Amino acid sequence: MVVERLAEIVGESHVLSRKSELLVYNSDGLPGYRRQPKLAVFPGTREEAIAVVRYLAEQNLSFVPRGAGTGLSGGALGDDIIVVGLHRLKKVISLDIENRRATVEPGVVNLRLNRYVAPHGLLYAPDPSSEAACTIGGNVAENAGGPHCLKYGVTLNHVLALTVILPSGEVVQLGNPVGERDGYDLRGAFIGSEGCFGLALDITVRLTPKPQTVRTLLADFTSVDQAAHVTSAVVASGIVPAALEFMDGPTIRVVEDSIYAAGYPRDAEAILLIELDGLEAGVVADLETVRRICLEGGARQVKVARDDAERMKLWQGRKKAFGAMGRLAPHLIVQDAVIPRTKLPEILATIHGISQKYNVMVCNVFHAGDGNLHPNIAYSADDPAESERVHKAMREIMQACIAAGGSITGEHGVGLDKMGYMESIFTDTSLNAMCELRGVFDPDHRSNPGKVVPVHSCKEWHGTPAGRRQPTEHQPPPLEAEPSRPVAR
Amino acid sequence: MIRDGQPLRITGRGAWLDAGRPVSATRTLSLAHDAGVVSYVPGDLTLTVRAGTTLADIAKITGEKNQWLPLDPYGSADGTIGATVATASAGPLSSSFGLVRDLLLGMEFVNGRGEVIRAGGKVVKNVAGFDLTRLVTGSWGTLGVITEVTLRLYAQPPADRTVVIELDGTPREMAAVLRGMITPVLSPIAFQLVSRSISRALRLGESPVALLRFGGNESAVDAQISALRQIATPRELETTVWGSLRELDGKTTTAIRISSLPQRLLATAATILSDDLPAIYTNIDPRRGVMRITVSSDAPVGDGESDSNAAMDFSADTNGSSNVVFEKLPPDVWAAVSASVVADPLSQGIKKAYDPHNILNPGILGD
Repeated sequence: MVVERLAEIVGESHVLSRKSELLVYNSDGLPGYRRQPKLAVFPGTREEAIAVVRYLAEQNLSFVPRGAGTGLSGGALGDDIIVVGLHRLKKVISLDIENRRATVEPGVVNLRLNRYVAPHGLLYAPDPSSEAACTIGGNVAENAGGPHCLKYGVTLNHVLALTVILPSGEVVQLGNPVGERDGYDLRGAFIGSEGCFGLALDITVRLTPKPQTVRTLLADFTSVDQAAHVTSAVVASGIVPAALEFMDGPTIRVVEDSIYAAGYPRDAEAILLIELDGLEAGVVADLETVRRICLEGGARQVKVARDDAERMKLWQGRKKAFGAMGRLAPHLIVQDAVIPRTKLPEILATIHGISQKYNVMVCNVFHAGDGNLHPNIAYSADDPAESERVHKAMREIMQACIAAGGSITGEHGVGLDKMGYMESIFTDTSLNAMCELRGVFDPDHRSNPGKVVPVHSCKEWHGTPAGRRQPTEHQPPPLEAEPSRPVAR
Repeated sequence: MIRDGQPLRITGRGAWLDAGRPVSATRTLSLAHDAGVVSYVPGDLTLTVRAGTTLADIAKITGEKNQWLPLDPYGSADGTIGATVATASAGPLSSSFGLVRDLLLGMEFVNGRGEVIRAGGKVVKNVAGFDLTRLVTGSWGTLGVITEVTLRLYAQPPADRTVVIELDGTPREMAAVLRGMITPVLSPIAFQLVSRSISRALRLGESPVALLRFGGNESAVDAQISALRQIATPRELETTVWGSLRELDGKTTTAIRISSLPQRLLATAATILSDDLPAIYTNIDPRRGVMRITVSSDAPVGDGESDSNAAMDFSADTNGSSNVVFEKLPPDVWAAVSASVVADPLSQGIKKAYDPHNILNPGILGD
C-alpha cells in the first residue's frame, strides 16, 4: 500500500521494494555497516520530494535521505526504513556570476557544479575526494571537507541558505540567499546534521573566484617523522597553503602499483603534497619559503609541478588512494580523527607502534594541514583473527587521538560508525543538548533514526512512546559487520 | 544564579550594552571577571579563552607570537570575546577571514537550566555531533551563557599596509573607480567605502574614500598596491585608521546593518556615498555585501535628518532583496521596527528547549 502510494507520486519505476534491488542501498561507502531498507523511493522533482515526505509524515514512517551513497560513516542507511534518494534532483536552479553564488538541487554532483561554473572563472571550494560522485545535498548533510578546505573552509563556510523540508512535511528557509540576517543560525545547525533534521530541497552556495596562480609541490622524505615535523613547521610559519596532504610509504607504493600511479618516489617513507594559490607574486614568494622549510626539514627532493597535467597527475594519486587500497586486500577500514597539528609527529609514531603491536599495516594518507588523519587498514574480513587485530588496533588509534585533545571525526560524520565514541568526547548534558536540538527539527526521530547521538543519551526523548519504539541500537566500536568491497573514495 | 529562575541580563564588560532590544531582567550576570587564557598553543594556531577576555587582551597575547584573531567588530576593543560571539559581531576583516561563526572551533555555555554544555572542540576541523557552536553564536545570550570559546588564529601577515583613495567627482566617475577596484588582481584583507562624514571624523579629507588593507608577504602586497596605482591615486595610511573607524561606533545611538547582493550594493554605493549627511556615518563593505549606517550622538545634526531615514529608504527601495539588521536603536523605536527575529516555530522550539523558563536576556531578540 505504501509502495502503491509512493509509486503514484514518483512513478512506478522510481520505487524499489524487492530485496535484491535494495541491496545497493544497504550500506554507504563504508560497507562495514549493513542495514536492509524496506523501500527506496526516488523523487524526480521538488514537488515529488515534498509529496513523498508529507506522505511519510502522514503515515508516521521513518526514512533516511540519501545522496550518492559515498558517505564514510555508516550514515545514510537503516533497517526496515524507507530510503529517500535525491540523486534525481540535479538541476542547477540559478547561477549568479556577478555575486558569485549558485542555487542547486540536492542531487547535483559536486564536480558537476564545479564544471558548470568553471567557464566563468569560479569554483565551489569544498572538494571531498569523492567529488566525482558525491552530491551537494550529501555534502551539506555531512558538512563535507576535502583537501582544499585547509585554506577555503568546509561546506559550512560556503552555504548561504537552504530550503529544507522538515520530517513533518513543513518547508522552511534557513539562512538567507540575499544577505546576512539575525536570529538563530538555523542554517549552521542544519549543516552537518547527517540527515537527522530533514532534507534540503535547494541549497544556495557561495562560489569562489579561481585563483590567479596555482603551484603544487611534492616533497619526499626518508622518514615519516621528518614529514610530520615539516607539516607542523609549515602550519606554524603562518602560510596557509591551499592544501597540505600527507602520504606515507605503504600508501605511496600501493598507489604507484595501481592504475592511479602518479610518479611518487617509491622508496620514500613519506611525501607531502603542498599546493599554494593566490596572486602570482605572493605564491612565488611563499613557494620559496615552503621549499626552504621542506629542505631544512630533511626533504630529499622538492619537485614543483611544471604544468596543469603534471599537477592533475599528482592529485590523482592522492584522491584515488583509497580506491588503490583495493589492491592490498578485499576490505578496508578508515578513520577520520582530527588532532592538534603540533601533535602530528607524536601521533604518527604512536600509530606506528600500534600497527606493530597488532601486526597490521596501517596506511596513512590524510589532510595533514588540518591535522585530519585517515589511518586505514586493508585486510581480509574472512580471517576472524586478522579482523580482531585490525579492530583492536583501530580502537587504540582512536583513543590515542582523543587523548591528544582531538575530535573523532573531521569530515566523514558520526553515523553509526563513530557513535560509540561520542561519549568519550562529550558529556551527558552536551549530548542531551544535541538531542534537544534534533527534537525541535524532528520530534519523532523519524529522519535517519538512531544516528549521531546514542539514543540513551536523549534524556527527555527515550521515555516517550516514539522513543520506546526506537530500537536502542547503539553500536560500540569495533565494527560489527564486515566490509565486503574496497571503499572507493 | 541561573538555577534561581529569575530573569537575567547577561553582560560582558558592558561595551555593547546599548545594542539589542530592551531586556526585562531583574538581575545582571556579568562575565567580565571570568577572563583569561585557558590554553594557547601557537603551533596549532588555536586559542581557548574564558568569555570575559577582552579583544584587546587577545590581540596582545597572540601578538606576542606574531599571530592574531582577525576579528574586528565595531566598537571598542575593550569588548569581550563572549559578547562578540554572542552577538556575532564582525568588522572590516570579515570579508576575507569570515564571520565569527567561521573563526570559532568550540565553546562552553550554560543553558537556561544551569547545565554546562560543551560544543565543538579545539581542533580546526570537526563534525562530531550536531553543531551547537554555530547555533549559540549570534543568539545574543538567549540560548545559553557563553563561558569559554576556542578560536582559530592566523599568523599576522608579514606585510600589512593600508591605503586610502579619495572618491571625488560625480557619482558616475566614482562608480567607474569602484568597478575598477573589484578585480581578481586585488585581494585586500579589508575593503571599506566610507561616507564623507566618516572621512571628516577620521581626518581623511572632505570627500568619501575607499580604505583598502593589504596583507600577505611583501611581494604580494607590493604587487597589489602597484596594480591599484594603475587605476587610482592611493595614499598610504597607518594601519591604526582601522581602529579609529571601529571606535567611531562608541558614540552611536543607532546602528543599522543592511546586507544585500554585493553587486547591487556596489551599484548604489556611489549615489549613497555622494550624499552629505553630517550626522550619519555610512560605510560599505562591497565584498561582504554589507552597508552599515550609524548615527552618532555627537555629530552635528543637519536639516531634516532623522535617525534612520536613509537606511529605511534603502531597504524600502530594494523590495525584499536585502536584509536589515538593527543593532542599536533608541529604546522607544524598537517596538516599531520588528517584533521578534526568532518568531518562527523552529527558533521558538529551540529557545524553549534551551531556556525553558525564559530567563536568559528576555526580550533582547524580541522573543
